[in-house]
Amino acid sequence: MFSRLLPPNLYRSYLSTRLRQGPLARYLQHPFPSRGQTVEATEFLALDFETTGLDVRKDAILSAGYTLIRNGRVVLGENGHHIVRVEKTLSRESVVIHKITDDRMRHGMPLGALMDILLEKLAGRVLLVHYAPVETGFLNAASRRLYGHGLPLMIADTMAIERRRLERRHIPIEPGKLRLFNLRREYGLPRYNAHSALEDAIATAELFLAQTAHMGNRKPVPIKMVLG
Amino acid sequence: MTMEIEQIEIRDFLGHTPPLDRLDHETLDALTQTIEITYVRRGRDILKVGENNEWLYLIRTGAVEVYTRDGKLAGHFGEGDWVGYRSVLRGGEINMRVTATEDTLLYMIPGATFRHLMEQNNHIANFFSERKPIRIRHAIQDMRGSTSAALIATQVRDLVHRTPLILDHHATIQQAAQAMKNKTATALLVTENERLAGIVTDRAFCTKVAAMRLDLDLPVERIMTPNPVTIPPNTPASEALLKMARRNIRHLPIVDGDRIIGMVTATDLIRYQSHNAIYLINEIYRAESIDALKALSRQLPQTLVSLVRSSLTAYDIGHAISSVGEAITRRLLRMAEARLGPPPVPYAWLVAGSLARNEQTAHSDQDNALILADAFDADTHDAYFEQLSRFVCDGLHDCGYIYCPGDVMASNPKWRQPLRIWRGYFNDWIDSPQPKALMYASIFFDLRTLHGEHDLLKSLYQTVLEKTRTNTIFQTYMAANALHYQPPLGLFRTFVLEKTGAEEKALNMKKRGVVPVIDMARVYALASGIGTLNTQDRLQAAAEAGALSQSGMEDLRDAFEFISTVRLQHQATKIERGESPDNFVSPEQLSSLERRHLKDAFEVVRTLQDAMEVRYQAGRIA
Repeated sequence: MFSRLLPPNLYRSYLSTRLRQGPLARYLQHPFPSRGQTVEATEFLALDFETTGLDVRKDAILSAGYTLIRNGRVVLGENGHHIVRVEKTLSRESVVIHKITDDRMRHGMPLGALMDILLEKLAGRVLLVHYAPVETGFLNAASRRLYGHGLPLMIADTMAIERRRLERRHIPIEPGKLRLFNLRREYGLPRYNAHSALEDAIATAELFLAQTAHMGNRKPVPIKMVLG
Repeated sequence: MTMEIEQIEIRDFLGHTPPLDRLDHETLDALTQTIEITYVRRGRDILKVGENNEWLYLIRTGAVEVYTRDGKLAGHFGEGDWVGYRSVLRGGEINMRVTATEDTLLYMIPGATFRHLMEQNNHIANFFSERKPIRIRHAIQDMRGSTSAALIATQVRDLVHRTPLILDHHATIQQAAQAMKNKTATALLVTENERLAGIVTDRAFCTKVAAMRLDLDLPVERIMTPNPVTIPPNTPASEALLKMARRNIRHLPIVDGDRIIGMVTATDLIRYQSHNAIYLINEIYRAESIDALKALSRQLPQTLVSLVRSSLTAYDIGHAISSVGEAITRRLLRMAEARLGPPPVPYAWLVAGSLARNEQTAHSDQDNALILADAFDADTHDAYFEQLSRFVCDGLHDCGYIYCPGDVMASNPKWRQPLRIWRGYFNDWIDSPQPKALMYASIFFDLRTLHGEHDLLKSLYQTVLEKTRTNTIFQTYMAANALHYQPPLGLFRTFVLEKTGAEEKALNMKKRGVVPVIDMARVYALASGIGTLNTQDRLQAAAEAGALSQSGMEDLRDAFEFISTVRLQHQATKIERGESPDNFVSPEQLSSLERRHLKDAFEVVRTLQDAMEVRYQAGRIA
């Protein structure tokens, strides 16, 4: 339960004293950015999962897509998209939504392999997601299952950033307003039709660039302004 | 690691953006991998003068403005447009400030990747060429190349203009012959229970009826070719032509399932292919009445459409359409002479303006005049020429070449004068170039004899050209006059961008597009004593005479060709929509690529206008 209560850097230090090897231990060796450094100087890993559902105990990750923000720019060369092999057969509904078929799934990687990659990509970086509970929930659950511990994360959530912005200005939040699609339109970002984890990760990253460009009134923005 | 780059939307966008639309899939995938994305708020600079740039920028959403070092607006760009390539190609040094005028999302390609692409791919190198004229040249080539297969683009259903002749198989040979004679058809279709059973061509009457001495009361099915080769209505015209050639037939029934739609003949295809201007002109010379001429003249808009859609050059189209105007005028003159008898003194019927230059696009105003031999005596002879002029001018008006609003017509006594008076006119215009004189000069320096005594104009022109070649004050005035209309800076989204920053909704492609070049070519020609009239020919001759550089000439000629083509395509589209062809092009109707090339072309024109201003010291007057 420490993972929920402690600041990520503290929890990370605490955990790193207890782990000697394995992917999680390697991940923990990298300190998180300090809260005072600028967004421009910080690397963010924008991540999106496609899952069979929202219940981290019963549902599984189907695919993961990510991209990197470095120097205040989305770097497509750091893109990744991975299909995860899920043991149980897919329900019909999720197949339709995610266009991932059982057949393709068999070629996917085990969850452990995905986590190895993600931990390497996340080391020393801020996790960037749109609506954090899904990705962090599944990451934590996977970490517990695979490594026996929850995963310390520094998180920026584009949905939470927008909610705080609107609340500060006492703007009422209509239902659906905070959805990725609608927010992108509000910031004048292009409409992306495809529906894949990678596409959504890129979409989230672009939204984050737009949000931070609108902050700070021409002065550099410290990352504490975008963290949860 | 699976990147699945090929699935992301950004790659699609790149793949649809010229010039990247020419890249193969692998190159495009690799390019997408190198992209970085940035978001710039409205009002912030993307590139600053004095700094270094190592990226090529593609605008995904939003808009930017580009300013020269001295703060002048140089362009306005939006989605799908490129910025930053000049500085990258120059080695990084930024000469123009680029500012976001809206919140803008940009895709960035590393300079090294960009330079590599330029080296590997000619098309991309041409697109980003520093030399705008080179870009225009390639744009013209592309335009021709992409649509030159007019017959492929045309389906046979579009070529069918009348319902085919159809007879039941019980009808007699005699009835078939009668029907074909009445409808002047070369073939008829034979049906059995409403279904196509065979075809009878006029050849059958030779090879079967006559050769085999068949009884004319026999049923027509005896001489038909059963189960003829047919084609569906969506067959490309080119395929129909091939089918005819392979089977050595000249008629192809068009059927949709069991339904007979029509028939396409070899003549239909050839007529379409050979740009029916030639056919139209032939018919005009055979027309016996004004009504017949009027009917033929109504085909002119359609002729223009087919010429434009066949991807001919604007130069060729101008000549073809002018030939139609020429034919109608000549035919009217013949009719007038037939009616009025031979002329009492020799005369020359002159045409001015676009028809004289062989640059007519569709029906335009008529500009004409008469030079009469000096033996002309108004009291005894003018009644004849007045009637002749009136007959021709009225006829032209009826044929769609409306009366000249400025009354520059042979029916106006002022422009129906003997040679000596014309000499006086020209001397006045050249020696005292007042505004009105310059207006007349710009009309009457494009003058061509269509009918009658060619020597009249020839002798006049020789002395006139000698004067224009030596009179530098006149040249200065003409040059200043030619700089009156300037092309705009460019076109952006829904408006025309002016140097002043003003925004207009539509661009007059005549006044602001072709006229500036026409006027410049005229100045070069007159100042060099060149008698040629066509704008492109004038430019060429002027370059040979040294009035402008070879490269300047080529640049201006290509810019003119491109602007003219855009104008023609606009007019063709208007005609196809059933509207009357005008000159007002709105930016929305152009692709971003066309807008880019137009901007280049306008810049070429402005550059040469500046050069002309200096050369002829036109600034002294303006």
